[in-house]
Amino acid sequence: MTGPADQRRSTTLAVARFEGRKRLRTTAVAAAVLSAYGILFVWVGPDLVGGEELQVLLDAMPPVLVELLGFESLASLAGLLAGEYYTFGWLVGLAGYVAYTAASAVAGDMETGRMDTLLAAPVSRSAVLLGSFLALLVPIVGINAITAPVLYLATVAVGEPLSFADLLALHALSVPYLLCWGAVGLLLGVVVGRSRTAGRVALALVFASWLTESLLDVSDYAWAGAVTPTRYLDTSAVLVDGQYDLVGAILLLAATVLLVALSSRAFARRDL
Amino acid sequence: MAVLSIRLYEMVVIRTDNLTKYYGDVRGVEDLSFSVEAGEVFGFLGPNGAGKTTAIRTLLGFQSPTSGSATVLDADVADAAALRDARARVGYLPSEPAFDDRVTGRRLLSYHGALRGDVRSDELLDMFTPPLDRPVGDYSRGNRQMLAIVLAFMHDPDLLIMDEPTSGLDPLKQETFLEFVRTERERGTTFFFSSHVLSEVRKVCDRVGIIRDGRLVEVASVDSLLHRSGKHVRLTLGDSVDADAFDLPGVHDVTVGGGARREPADRGDDVTTVSFTYTGAYEPLLRRVLEHDLRDLSIEEAPIEDVFMRFYDEAAQEAASEPAAGGDAADGEAEDA
Repeated sequence: MTGPADQRRSTTLAVARFEGRKRLRTTAVAAAVLSAYGILFVWVGPDLVGGEELQVLLDAMPPVLVELLGFESLASLAGLLAGEYYTFGWLVGLAGYVAYTAASAVAGDMETGRMDTLLAAPVSRSAVLLGSFLALLVPIVGINAITAPVLYLATVAVGEPLSFADLLALHALSVPYLLCWGAVGLLLGVVVGRSRTAGRVALALVFASWLTESLLDVSDYAWAGAVTPTRYLDTSAVLVDGQYDLVGAILLLAATVLLVALSSRAFARRDL
Repeated sequence: MAVLSIRLYEMVVIRTDNLTKYYGDVRGVEDLSFSVEAGEVFGFLGPNGAGKTTAIRTLLGFQSPTSGSATVLDADVADAAALRDARARVGYLPSEPAFDDRVTGRRLLSYHGALRGDVRSDELLDMFTPPLDRPVGDYSRGNRQMLAIVLAFMHDPDLLIMDEPTSGLDPLKQETFLEFVRTERERGTTFFFSSHVLSEVRKVCDRVGIIRDGRLVEVASVDSLLHRSGKHVRLTLGDSVDADAFDLPGVHDVTVGGGARREPADRGDDVTTVSFTYTGAYEPLLRRVLEHDLRDLSIEEAPIEDVFMRFYDEAAQEAASEPAAGGDAADGEAEDA
């Protein structure tokens, strides 16, 4: 006979495998779209950066706008990618997708009654929830694993290769960041219980977090941005300056663990 | 001591003790007390919105009782860990089985097999035949139900909790299913299922509990219930009659109405339709019927709604406060909550 711990693990793995497989198609599509978008950046980037007209334009713009649009580091291809491509693609886009998916997955299962069918089996709610969360690793890891080499090869092809170590670090550091947003979404889904609403709130939070952090960063209240996950992944620092915020990554992971534990607790107690 | 507890366990499979579930101020079920014994088929009857699904979902631990308690296979429904272990021996067939539409039946089968064990899906798939290689989103209601049946029985559970199990099945598969339930009962499996189809209850159940407005109004054997519920008789007569024409013992709720519009043109004369519920013997009824110009006659088992209305009537008469019929449409929300 298997013990309760083995049983939990096998439940979690079975759920993660099943749910993860459902995310394969979206993962492939998102990876393809983001790769193409990245190649576009690399292709037209060298024409954009370093131009004097652009610098004049930037100097004339209000600092808030420059910060928001990520124009502060347009001096190099790395800066362009960090400020535009990774900001909108990863900090906002991918984070939004992960948070929305996490929020709507569990809530959707509860809404439709699929959760009933699942929980009729001898499984614990926390094991099921954890499995559902771990399934998010499929898009998170999958998309990063595909886009990172594509981006690198693209920069090599145009003759402005990025630092491979920095690129790898950025993609690796985005994993705890995205997991943290997944955990936020998970908690929302469990608490709100309605997939559309939870998903939209999660999406709004991602956007608001980025906006808040960008605005606060140029204000006197930059410290207040410490509550937003966006604070702990600085794409420009990694890609332009080669500085890796490991403490930030650890904080994000800690927040993830906390949020998943809270979700699990809320899920165990609620009526389905 | 151990022997005693095993025997107790074997005797009672489900027990509820004043089980109550409210959704905020909305009553789901209130003060349900009953027990289901090992090896019996217990039908749980009531109209839509009476609280059947609420009771079932509380028994499975999907929601916690507001007050009162219940045990399933000796596990307290409030004890998540104990109930989880007990569910290894429970099969559940929901009323509207929901699956991931993009996934094929086969993958769902292996997924649920991984979660609860699969010892007899091959055998079940000989009887119930959902198209396993198609995505579940393409399934008809009946195929969806058949897949749910296979999932509910695949780990060979000792107790089946089923919510309207034949809904969506075509008549042939309904028969197959009810026959299967009878066979399983012979093997010692216990069944607890909700229904509003008296014919299926009649075919397989040993006892029934009737629930109305969230409260259990009756627990009885099927034989005694059937005797009380009687037949639904519908006559089409060429002559005009009034309600007193059928004042035989055992006739209830007589309705007399005209029906000329539906009569074929070549019989342009007026007809009268008479319908009532009948609990007596056939002979005196048929003698009385033949005194009239009989055009059509049907005698059917009374629908469960009628049985239910009877219980409602009784309750209302005892209370002697409100009109007897028709006040039940309002409680439909409770079950969806």
